[in-house]
Amino acid sequence: MAKGTNNKKAWAPALVLGTLLVILAVLVIIFFTGGERERVRRLAGVNVPKPQPPVAKSEEMKTVTLFFLSDDDDLLHRETREIAAGPTTAEEAERALAELVKGSSKDLISPLPAETKVRQVFVTKDGVAYVDFGREIMEKFSYGSSSELAAVFAVVDTLAFNFKTIKKVSILVEGVEKETLGGHIDLTQPFLPDFSIVAK
Amino acid sequence: MALLLLAGLVPRAFSQAAEPGTNTRPAAKRVVIDPGHGGMELGAKGKFGNVEKDITLAIALKLKAMIEKSMAFQVVLTRDKDIDVPVENRSAIANNVKADVFISIHTNGSRQKTAEGSETFFLSVGATPDEETRRLAYLENNSSRIEDHVDKTSEDDVKMILWDMAQAAYIRQSSQLAEMVQAELNALLGTRNRGIKQAPFKVLTGVACPAVLIEAAFISNPDEEKKLASEAFQTSVAEAIYRGLTKYLQIYQ
Repeated sequence: MAKGTNNKKAWAPALVLGTLLVILAVLVIIFFTGGERERVRRLAGVNVPKPQPPVAKSEEMKTVTLFFLSDDDDLLHRETREIAAGPTTAEEAERALAELVKGSSKDLISPLPAETKVRQVFVTKDGVAYVDFGREIMEKFSYGSSSELAAVFAVVDTLAFNFKTIKKVSILVEGVEKETLGGHIDLTQPFLPDFSIVAK
Repeated sequence: MALLLLAGLVPRAFSQAAEPGTNTRPAAKRVVIDPGHGGMELGAKGKFGNVEKDITLAIALKLKAMIEKSMAFQVVLTRDKDIDVPVENRSAIANNVKADVFISIHTNGSRQKTAEGSETFFLSVGATPDEETRRLAYLENNSSRIEDHVDKTSEDDVKMILWDMAQAAYIRQSSQLAEMVQAELNALLGTRNRGIKQAPFKVLTGVACPAVLIEAAFISNPDEEKKLASEAFQTSVAEAIYRGLTKYLQIYQ
């Protein structure tokens, strides 16, 4: 039994230490899970109904003109859209193209596959915009000449029409130069816009 | 600018070198027929499962048979079966056999199901309209003289750059060829006349002779897809191209 008294004495500091450890563990759990939940909520912000005003509302907006196809003729048709403004032309151009991919809010036809990803836009000092698309723009559609021309010039005209500093547009896929999207239109040279194919 | 000017002339210089007797009547004209797409590259697709690459090949084979039967001129195909042929190889074939005419055959595809008709394209080069007009005028007025000054032993990589822009010198003749082929397509096919147009087609850029790209009807339009799949319609397309081609080559006899 002498052993028992010895143990009792030894337990007192161990108990204190143990309690502290448990409290610490709880605090750590709250810290991390609490943080996690907040981060998840922020990431899902667009889809979750939110009591606070959306982030974009505090920012400045910009109206851009997008170019879609119509069933009525072979021309490109304008549709305006609001995008967040700034800070750079390249970022605004990325947003404008993302809206073009999303498609028309009327009943116009999108010239790009719905799966298309806009990876990046880069604008050089002499006014050439390099647009880098994901592979989906090539893989998710079997282009004919007309649909390939429409895809290319919807992109080129959207950029040249909305951004004064963009004079020519070069289309890349997965960061590299491709010959064509589907065997027709030459992508190795930058394009000048063609507004003659736009409906009045 | 210098490169642009040289672009069209070097290929001409080559063909001259190959035919020394300038006054003798040249051998039969050589036509290169390019059935669009092939192999893994399907081209446009139709609702009933027809693909552009099969129909372009069928039309090209019929056209080749017509030309060989008449023996009016020689014919070379860029592919005679369902295989991948890179775009630059197609123009290289034309340049290697010193083609007099290059014809690329396609069937169109649009996102609009209602799109219909036939059209003939020739190349648009990536210059502003002003630059292009000036360059073409210059080429027309000066080509014969500059031709004599082109260094025929220039470096290979320089030649490559020149080939890359070879078609620029033939835009005017290509538009003439396009007009003649389009007129026959209108007369024989009964499809909507979409006219002749310019676009930057990759397959045309490196071709060093008059070159057009024909879009015979829309495979994306179910009614026209049915026509395109039929032997009779394919024969009509081949016949129209044959007639347009013959008329064009007669001018340059």
